[in-house]
This record gives sequence, structure tokens and C-alpha cells, in this order.
Amino acid sequence: MEAADSQNGTVGRDEARVSYQVPNTLLSVQNIYKSFGSNEVLKGISLDLCESQVLALIGGNGAGKSTLMKIIMGIYSADSGEITIAGKKVDISNPKAALEHSIYMVPQEPMLFPNMTVRENVVIGFDEGASELESRLKSVMAEIGWSLDLDCKASTLSIAEQGMVEILRGLMRNPKVLILDEPTSALTFDEVQSLLACVEELQKKGIGIIYITHRLSEVFEIGTTVAILRDGIVTTQGNVFEFTRDDLVRGLLPEDASVDGATTGDSACEIDYSQEPVLRVRDFSGYGFSDVSFDIYPGEIVGLAGVVGAGRTEMATTIFGRDKVLGGSVTLNGQDITGRKTRQVISMGLNYVPEDRFNDGLYRIRGVAENTTSALLSSSRMGRFFLNSKEEERVSQSYVDRFRTKVTGLDQEVGGLSGGNQQKTVIGRAFSTSPKVVILDEPTRGIDAAARGDVYAVLQELRDTGVSILLISSDMEEIVELSDRALVMYQGRIVQEFGKDQIVQENLTAAAFGVYQADAKAVTD
Amino acid sequence: MGRIKNLLHARSMSSFAFLVILFLVVGLINPAFLTPSNISACFNTSVVYTLVAVGMAFTLFIGEIDVSVGANLGLVAAVVGSMLRDGQSMGLAIIVGVVIGAMIGLINAWGVAVMKAPSLIFTLGVNGVLRGIVYVYTNGAWVENLPKGFKDFSSVTAVGDLTVYYCATIVLVAVIQLLLVRTKRGRYFHAVGDNAQGATLVGLPTRTTKILAYVICGVMAAIGGIIFCSRIGFVTPASGNGYEMKAIAACVLGGISLLGGVGSVVGSAIGAVIMASISYLLVFMGFSSNYDNAITGIILIVIVVVDALLQRRAIVKNRHARLAARVSSGTEVAAAAMEKAQEGGEA
Repeated sequence: MEAADSQNGTVGRDEARVSYQVPNTLLSVQNIYKSFGSNEVLKGISLDLCESQVLALIGGNGAGKSTLMKIIMGIYSADSGEITIAGKKVDISNPKAALEHSIYMVPQEPMLFPNMTVRENVVIGFDEGASELESRLKSVMAEIGWSLDLDCKASTLSIAEQGMVEILRGLMRNPKVLILDEPTSALTFDEVQSLLACVEELQKKGIGIIYITHRLSEVFEIGTTVAILRDGIVTTQGNVFEFTRDDLVRGLLPEDASVDGATTGDSACEIDYSQEPVLRVRDFSGYGFSDVSFDIYPGEIVGLAGVVGAGRTEMATTIFGRDKVLGGSVTLNGQDITGRKTRQVISMGLNYVPEDRFNDGLYRIRGVAENTTSALLSSSRMGRFFLNSKEEERVSQSYVDRFRTKVTGLDQEVGGLSGGNQQKTVIGRAFSTSPKVVILDEPTRGIDAAARGDVYAVLQELRDTGVSILLISSDMEEIVELSDRALVMYQGRIVQEFGKDQIVQENLTAAAFGVYQADAKAVTD
Repeated sequence: MGRIKNLLHARSMSSFAFLVILFLVVGLINPAFLTPSNISACFNTSVVYTLVAVGMAFTLFIGEIDVSVGANLGLVAAVVGSMLRDGQSMGLAIIVGVVIGAMIGLINAWGVAVMKAPSLIFTLGVNGVLRGIVYVYTNGAWVENLPKGFKDFSSVTAVGDLTVYYCATIVLVAVIQLLLVRTKRGRYFHAVGDNAQGATLVGLPTRTTKILAYVICGVMAAIGGIIFCSRIGFVTPASGNGYEMKAIAACVLGGISLLGGVGSVVGSAIGAVIMASISYLLVFMGFSSNYDNAITGIILIVIVVVDALLQRRAIVKNRHARLAARVSSGTEVAAAAMEKAQEGGEA
């Protein structure tokens, strides 16, 4: 039923696409080159954006999307190549110049002034009088049908609301070109829908939109044209309706990799459920989740699905000793670890790989070796007083080899690695503590398809060595691919458990949005 | 109405309340304190601190700091003092003093805003260099024998017992505050301190704003140096030592956040009065004024720690409230699921 609805939606959008397609180029970048030191990031990028177009820009991490956008916004300047706006060659040397050419970028992380009110945030930087700005703001808000308290401080807004303020800022500038950098990555389902509706409205007004995303479904839902960036070149470009999902995946992958290489196939592995569970969680409550109970058995990958904000990360970090426990118990291998300090939890055999590898996971300016072994520093394995650098090297090299991490050397700064390789380093570190259970939070978010396949292979290999994994993921395909069993959280509670044969995207999605019923299928069919 | 309410809620109001309570407490301990002339003296003494603190406020607004203001003040005082002693014209001496202050501001701005050096360390280095220059310039001697008229002008009163200097400073603070709040460019200082990257993205001149903040700070410290000369009547090579701590404490006491983006110059002016009053109040409470510096330091530490604590607690509390709001009660989930499933069935 739901499928039918979205089908209709797509048809409607197709018609819109045809009637609004005007070959009037707003922005054109030609042969853009950019390198940082010896690292060539962009190798001759050419793109066009016309009126009323939504150019979906996809590409793996490190493909050059952000660099290209920063060049268009004047934050970086290109080594060579030119940018033309409405047929005229322009020189964009700073963001102010970009704004003057009616280009506005909504950054991935909202860039608000937290101590200012919403109103001040939106109107700052304009030259008009206060009353004129106020009436324009009112009319813009009425037009897109948003209501926001203009007098509350920006620091009190949710991430989604902050994104809305950013978009308001952009609209106040009557942009001809609007760049949205992964606008939906932090939004909930409803918010995504209202954002997509808003993008359509803007498109009807003739605004050209560059829409950067990691979600292929959004390309088809909203894009009119699509461009794929890989290693600094545009590999694929054209109208969205000319492509299938597989075409896009192929465009994202390196030329020598086959599409099948990205996935690792069926990972059937018999789990002995008669054993004692290695992790037993009972009636566990904390901030953001409540009454959670589940077991994890040795050598099992348990997927934990749910939408963003369902309380999965909060539950994981609370088990890991980062937040206050409000009730219930967690037992690891028969030992009670409820409310223990993080250090104790790790030494008792549970580790957690955070979702945000930049802020919580890595020492960015340190080398791969130091990062991999940093969790071992307190153990005598790394030397009793002086650091055993041979051991450091040995441990790190073993993970680099095992995970096929692409590094120039063990001393390469982790901040300079691509997302996938950073993730492999963090996972390596978590496993270097020889844990019995590892909780992985969104291990492949922001990682390109090829690196994703590598991470999957790593996880399966680790599982085969008897480690149990709790896999938190918003990517249902990932859960389907890897899990032996799947749990689904919704509004802070586990609402459903699926056995291996029941783990299909349809079930997971329904449960994640709180609409799964074991017999619902019969009703709708 | 809204404006009055905003005024009452302003962070600087609590520091004003603190000032009033402080005076009343000291008055309770020693009723001899509560006379117009004593209270005016507290305000009059604060004039140099106020000027330096208002300048400091600008560097704090943009999320940086300037600890070279003490030596800046000392150097300007020494130069202006020796020029006047040697019979140069008043106008020329003031111009030279202000230009020196502006130059020092530019040097700090170059280091912090252009070269992007950490401001605390860079301005600390500048402070050392300037203090060295004062010793070389004065040969380690005091600058004395300033013209009598220049010295006497510091005690000329304008309103009641308040001196011309203090009244002029109040007017200056009011004008600066109005410019900060009422003009578009005035808001840039807070914006840059709140989120520098965000400011760049909406097209604000981030670097220019930072440079301007340091130049204003340098000029305010220089004006402070000139008034210092007039009020004290002589300049030692160590003049201005420790003024940076007083100024930072005054700002923090006046509700300015060291993280940038928050506060007003009115707050820093009130804080400066509290700072200037401490040694005066100590005497009235029967303590030695030798405790002055230690007390200033303690006040600074207490406020900063309490502020950090409150901020952290507020963040954690907000987070917990937000998370708790997401968790539904068990029955609600089931009901919602049923409802949605039924809707699905009907459609």
C-alpha cells in the first residue's frame, strides 16, 4: 500500500520535471582543478546547473564534493578552471562574493550563532532596515509554511530546526542557486519529508539546487539530474530518469571493482542459542530509552534498527558507562556491569565504537599506530613504563593488514585518511582490547560503497572468531546483510525482534516507524 | 515594555545588583562607608579599569583575549607622561598615545586574526615585549614632575562628586553600547565570537571584525594610560602591571563569556567599578588592601568555575529533557501502532 503511494508520488514529480525543465544555465563550473599539497582533490570537474534543476551530487568520502562546494562558495579558490554564472565568468574569492551572486550553501553542520535569537541569526549580514527585513522574513516563512519561534535562542533548537533556520537564511537572500549539503543526514523521517516538499517548492520557483546526499533513494525521489563524483572526477552525469539504482552504485565504485564486490553475500552461520548469552540486558532504562531487554549470544551479530532518535545510541552509551542508568541491569558473561565506569566496562570485555568518529573516536593528529593501540595503553602489553613501540607496531600492522586499511605508513595522521579507513582504524582499536562484545554505532555512515564492503567483511571475520556484535544502523540494507538476529527500537523501546529469516527491509522499516504488526501483512494484502 | 523586560533580564543587571549588595554589606559592617563622597570615590577610581575593561570586552566578544593591555597602558603612560614633562603640547601627546595604542592593537590583530596564533600566548608575548620597551624607554626611572594643571584636572568634578573623567567615560560606554546593539556592524563582534565559521558563511567580514576588536582594545588601553598619568601624577616602569587581570575579571563579573559571543560593555563597566572598589572596601572592613590582588583572583576563579559548572549542567539537563521526551510509554506505542496499522488497512 505504502509502495503504491510512493509510486504515485514519483509519477507526479516526473510530470513536474518535464514542465519545469528550462534550459537556462544558472551556474556552470568548467575544468576545476584543486590540490592540497601533493594531494589532487579535484581533477577537472565540469558541471552545469539550470533553472529549476535539482542536481543530486553523490560520491564517496574524499571524492571531492565538499571541496567543490567550498570552491563555489569562495571558501577555497580553485587552482585552475572557471565558474560562470548566467553566462558570465565570475571570480568568487570569498563567501561574500558568492552571496552577491545569489549562491547560498546550507552546510552539513548548521552554522548558527547559538547565543543569538533565531531572528538575529536569519537577518544578520543584510544591509536593509530592520522593519523591511522583518516583513520579508514573515513572507518567506509564510510561503514555505514553517512556524518557528523567532525570539528563542538558537542554542535551544533541535538539529532539524537549526537546519530550517539555515534554509531560511538562504531563502532570505533570494538565491538563484541553493546548495544543500546532506541536509537529511540528521533529520527524522517526518522532517525529511517536509524538507523534500520544501525543495520541490523552491524548484518550482526556478531556483537551481545542488543536493548532496549519501542516500540513493533521495536521488530518485527529488533529483532531476544526477552527477557522481569519484576521486576528483565526474564519472557519471545525466538526467535521473536515465539511471537505475545499479547504474549509480556502479558509478560510485572504482572501475576495477564489480558491483557484487561491494557486498559479501550470504553470511549464514549457525548460532547455538542453547548457550548462555554473553550479554544479558534486563529492563534497562536511562535517558532516551526505557525498559529494554535483550540477549546476545556468542558469535552473533545482532542488528539494532530504528530511526534516528529512537534511543539506540543513548542505550549503547549508557551500557558503556557514559550516562546515568535509571533502572534495570546489564550482565556481561555473568558479571554485572550495570552503571560501571567506562574503563571497567572495557576491561570486563565490552567495547563501543561511536557513531561520530571525529569527535568521539579518533585522535586525528596522531598516527594510525598510536590510534590503534591507544585503548591498550593501560595494559601491560604495551610495556610497563616505557612504551613498547615494537608491540605497538605489531598490533597496528596486524589490523592494517587484516582490514586492508589504506595507509601510507603506520605513522600517517588519521585525520588525513578517508572515512572508510578511519572507521577501520577505530574498529581495529576496539578489537585490540580483545572484547567479547562490541557495540558498533553506524559503522558505515558516510562511507562509500566499496569501503562499506570492506567493513562488512571485517565484521564477519571478527564474528567468526567468536566475538559478538551489536550493530546499530539506520541503513536497513546493512542490517539485512549482516545480522543473525535483529531488534528494532522505536521511541526508546525495543518494539520487535526478528529472526534471521524475518529480517527483510520491509519488516525492519515498518517496525522502525512503529507500524509493524505480525499479522498486518495479512490485513494489507 | 519588552525593552524594559529585556533590560531587567540582561546579564549585566545581576552584576549591578551584586555591586549594590556589596556596598550595602560594607555599609552594614561600617556605616561610615555609606556617604556620597565614598561611593563617588569608588566610581571615580574605576575610570582607568573601566576604559581598559571596555576594550578588553571587545576581544572577549570575538572569543579571543588580550593580556597585553597592562603593558600597553604602561607604555602609553610613560610616553605621554615624559612628553608632557618635557613641555610638549597636550594635543600632540594624546595623539601619540592613541596612535601607539592603535599600533599595538594592530600588532595583536596581525598575530591573532591574520597569522592565527593563539591569542592568550601571542598577546602575552606582546605584553613582555612592551614591558621591556617601557624599561628601556624610561631607563628604569620614574616619570615625574608632570604639569600641575594636567594632574589637577583629574579631580575636577562634573556631576556631584563624580569627576569629569568618570562622567565622560560613562558617556563613552553608553555610546559604545548603543553602537554595539543598534548598528548592524556592532552585532558582528558577537556573531564572530559566537561562531566564526558561520559568520564567514553568511558573508560577514570576520577578519576585519577581529582586527577592529583588537584595535579598539589597544586604543581603549591607551586612553586608560593617558588618564592614569593624569590621575596618579607619575609613571613607574611597572605601571599597569596586573591591569589585564583586573580588566578580565571586570568583564567576567559583568557577564561577558570567555567563550565569546555573550555580554555587554555596560556589564564590563559595572564589573570595573566592583574591581576598583575592592581595595577601598577592604579598608572600610578593617582589612589591609594588600589582599586586593588575591581577592580579585579569587573572584575571577569563582565566577569562571561557577559559570562553567552552570553551563555544563544546563547542557546535560537540556539533553536529558530532550531524550526523555522521545521515550513513549509502552501503551502509547502499542496504541499508535494499532492506529497506524488500521489506517493502513482502511486505505
